[in-house]
Amino acid sequence: MKKRRSLLFLIIAFIFAQIAWMGLLGLWIYWYVSNYLMFKQVGNKLSPQIVIDSPNVGIFVIGIISIVLIAVAMFFIFRNLTVQMKVTRLYDNFIANVTHELKSPLSSIQLYLETLSIKSVRAEKQKEFLDIMIKDASRLKKLINSILEISRLEQKRIAHNYHVYNADSIIRQLVSDAAEQFRLSEKNIKIEGELQCKCVIDKDAMQIVFDNLTDNAIKYSMPPVKINVKLSLLSKRILIEHIDNGIGIETKNQKNIFNKFQRIDNKNIPNVKGTGLGLYWVREIIKFHGGKITVVSEGENKGSCFRIELPIYKTSKKFYINKLLRQTARKEKIMENADGE
Amino acid sequence: MENDLTKGEKILLVEDEETLAIGLEYNLSDEGYIVDWAKDGKQALNLFNATEYDLIILDIMLPYYNGFEIAEQVRAKYPQMPILMLTARTSAEDKVRGLELGADDYLTKPFHLQELLLRIKGMLKRKMWYKSSSESQPVYRFGKNEINFENLHCKNGAKNFMLTQREAMVLKYLLENKGKIVSRKELLENVWHISSEIETRTVDNFISRLRKYFEEDPNTPVYFKSIRSVGYSFNDEK
Repeated sequence: MKKRRSLLFLIIAFIFAQIAWMGLLGLWIYWYVSNYLMFKQVGNKLSPQIVIDSPNVGIFVIGIISIVLIAVAMFFIFRNLTVQMKVTRLYDNFIANVTHELKSPLSSIQLYLETLSIKSVRAEKQKEFLDIMIKDASRLKKLINSILEISRLEQKRIAHNYHVYNADSIIRQLVSDAAEQFRLSEKNIKIEGELQCKCVIDKDAMQIVFDNLTDNAIKYSMPPVKINVKLSLLSKRILIEHIDNGIGIETKNQKNIFNKFQRIDNKNIPNVKGTGLGLYWVREIIKFHGGKITVVSEGENKGSCFRIELPIYKTSKKFYINKLLRQTARKEKIMENADGE
Repeated sequence: MENDLTKGEKILLVEDEETLAIGLEYNLSDEGYIVDWAKDGKQALNLFNATEYDLIILDIMLPYYNGFEIAEQVRAKYPQMPILMLTARTSAEDKVRGLELGADDYLTKPFHLQELLLRIKGMLKRKMWYKSSSESQPVYRFGKNEINFENLHCKNGAKNFMLTQREAMVLKYLLENKGKIVSRKELLENVWHISSEIETRTVDNFISRLRKYFEEDPNTPVYFKSIRSVGYSFNDEK
């Protein structure tokens, strides 16, 4: 509420400042023109032989340009400020979500430890509780790692191990590894199409992409989840379509879902957990690979299709891809030398 | 003996974290309560509408309907239902919102098991005391006022309003000790079931609210009198 009010205040201040500038400009023109007319009349009466110079148009134009520049600059400052405010709001949400996500497994572990220490629990129950605690501890570990990865990602350190692969086999392997991690059977996930080309990929980073897409498909679908991965070639790019039968994404949200900390508020979403970072990572990693990702969804309950485009090796973005390969080779050489020593 | 009284009470546990819910269910069942577990807002409301519960343990961040929305709906249907909010959200804003919507207690995660069990027992005991004492005398009248302790509806002359559960409990306790002096400490311990370490101003706030509701001139109270440096006393006999 407070934030909404301060935004309203900002908008009013901005509009007021613009009106003030324009008003000043209007007054100035009025003053300039009326003075010029007056001088002309008075000058003619007093001494018709005096030739009054036409007004100095140069100064007039420079003045107008300066004021327009100030107004434009103010507009940019205003826009930047509103973007900052939006990021702060999203960051607050992120903190609330992460706190919730961290505290839940922690509370669970504490509850079981206290139960085991206070009560006499049967042996088989004890085993069950210990298993739950191990599961919660690994959830905590995963979450903490993913938070720590933000800074690695920001410094572009998350993807650094690029190699040339056969596109078809590497993408199939990444998809099936993701499926295996989330215990999806062949019934749940299908791969169609073929890619007769090569591409440059950081395998670990790209695994994060497919893990996140698969995880989202599971989270936002009513079981049984059905994922269809279609592989095809565009003129210079590989196209991977990751299609699910989930709850879909409303058109107005499709542009935002890749933003950092973004979470979509929707009553019909059966799962409220998450940090709002998954798809942000996905987009950044694809960008590092010289590709792009978009989402297509016909709307709620109509599933989603994530379209990933990656450059074909030696066909598209040659300079950028070679730079990635050179960087990897240089790093590997340094590592080898370090090992040798 | 006290323990036996609350045994067999039905608790609705609304918690979307499966691992936490399993542990809570185990402990509550072990204490002798009958527990139903709802893992989201929709299921919670369905269970609440289909079954009669003695207490609800409610998480706030839930799928479909959040804890605040559920508390509101529960309160509208059953104003006396004890609700314990159990949540990871620690901000004062959330706490105030939860308590305003009628949560009787608010416990933040991670919590201590024994504290949770004690609070639940306290809430159930309060509910039982209130229920047994309201059943014997559901409607009480004094002056122009009429209070129905079952549905919490009140009348002050032509004015109709509703008490919150806690206000009704404070009033009930004072009525039961009519004519006697009740200390702030006693009220805290018997109505809130908490030690008097917390500010006794809480009690003063409740008394001033009751005065506003029922006294003709709250500044010169006739029924709810302050006994300086001791506590309060209720008397409606002239």
